[in-house]
Amino acid sequence: MKYLKYNKKLIAFMAFVVTMAITPVAGAMHIMEGYLPLSHSVAWFVVCIPFLVMGYRSIKGKVDENRRNISMIAIAGAFVFVLSSLKIPSVTGSCSHMTGTGLGAILFGPAAMSILGIIVLIFQAILLAHGGLTTLGANTFSMGIAGPFVAYAVYKALSKSNKKVAVFLAAFIGDLFTYIVTSLQLAIAHPASSGGFATSAVKFLGIFAPTQVPLAIIEGILTVLIFVALETYAEAEMKSLGFASGGMK
Amino acid sequence: MKNNKIDRHKDDINKEACVHEPAQHRAEHSHRLFTHHHSHGEGSSIDYQAYHSKIRGWNPTFKFLFTCIALILCIGLDNPYVSVTTIVAMGFVSIVLGGVSFHDYLSTMMLPITFILLGTLMIGIDFSLTPKGEYNFHFGFFYIITSKSRLLHMGAIILKVFGAISTMITLTLSTPATEIVGVLRKLKVPKLIIELMNMIYRYIFVMMDTYRQMKESAESRLGFVDYKTSLHTFAGIASNIFVVTLKRSGDYYNALESRCYEGELLFLEEEKPIKAVQAGFAVLYVVVVLALWWAT
Repeated sequence: MKYLKYNKKLIAFMAFVVTMAITPVAGAMHIMEGYLPLSHSVAWFVVCIPFLVMGYRSIKGKVDENRRNISMIAIAGAFVFVLSSLKIPSVTGSCSHMTGTGLGAILFGPAAMSILGIIVLIFQAILLAHGGLTTLGANTFSMGIAGPFVAYAVYKALSKSNKKVAVFLAAFIGDLFTYIVTSLQLAIAHPASSGGFATSAVKFLGIFAPTQVPLAIIEGILTVLIFVALETYAEAEMKSLGFASGGMK
Repeated sequence: MKNNKIDRHKDDINKEACVHEPAQHRAEHSHRLFTHHHSHGEGSSIDYQAYHSKIRGWNPTFKFLFTCIALILCIGLDNPYVSVTTIVAMGFVSIVLGGVSFHDYLSTMMLPITFILLGTLMIGIDFSLTPKGEYNFHFGFFYIITSKSRLLHMGAIILKVFGAISTMITLTLSTPATEIVGVLRKLKVPKLIIELMNMIYRYIFVMMDTYRQMKESAESRLGFVDYKTSLHTFAGIASNIFVVTLKRSGDYYNALESRCYEGELLFLEEEKPIKAVQAGFAVLYVVVVLALWWAT
């Protein structure tokens, strides 16, 4: 009898966990301020530097070519921010958001996305309290570099066959990859006492999967829809935008 | 049920409506479009709070550097007493000195609560096939195990994270984004990045305003009547705000150029000298925190 009562409490507890888990909340995958030890914060910044330099050069080249381009690049950055702050339609009424990085990588190229990514992340921290200042390096790596590069690679590899499938998979896989990288970053910072890094990685991947996998699917669908609309209504502008090393041509 | 849904939509519109004000109208005190709203989830009012903070007159570079030092102390010392002191001190600065209401402060703090709960829960517990932990919870074929030290460790992390978050939002609730970008400029961040940040900040408001209008008109035409339609409408609006803003991109640049823009946006920055009391407070804070860390 006592066992049964005990179990009920546990079931309630599990129900709570599950409800929390299927409620993807704004920026659930930004590592929050304070989560990483200082050494990790610095290390992730250092990892980002080569990519940021590359992105800076790519944007600088485009601006040197024609100064007016800065206006367009800024709009691209603002678009990534706005896309990631809009509440997407959801069945459960929960608050979920796109990352917008997959679309950004396809449209503007992965190199430029590193710079746009870090700026967007700074504004998300300042204006929306998502992410943080010390975790900026780690978040830039997962959302501004790893995700976009994978998304872009997937898009390039598949775009010859079926564009819609390519865009969907690029956004979907880019999103999943961001989530995997973030989980690994957390696992490195907080290894489990028994089993260390690997156990911890499995735990973080597991607990965030129920929010991130459905979100990645929705992101994929929305990215295709947005991409098709952009192609239909703004082909000329899109062509002039493929500014970074590649990008949509 | 139906009503409920409509209410929720109304709520969303309100929420979105007060997110941002168009940048063109951004002057010191014109925040009329920005009907204040007790946000639940989107932290949209941080920008509003920053412009209305009573400690906006403090030197932004001082605030920024103090925030960095406080963050490094809170995270680097990794001490529960330091964390609690940070939470209390930052709460004092934001609420008593800055004039943010307790409710607004707390709801900003609670924005990332899901991440914190899920993230730290995973640090606090372990899974095992045998009940080998100090506390074991049985679930069918496996156990969730934990121990007192793990739970204490988890508590310490939660305190540290809240300490860090309170430090960060104390800066953002009292310093408008433009001033923070100004500080970055003083810290010699490349000019191109500063230009991009200033422009992106303004375009965000232009786009948000366009989004709000499009969403309202789509809403009135049953654009969000069911889930599938909602997805299409959302994608339509999202691509449209981009296309519309992009098409006006040239106009924006012309407007800048007609005002003699030559690759550098310069804003009037008020001189805000650091007062002795503020510097004293900062030094006192650092000393107290270090003393606490040394004593425990």
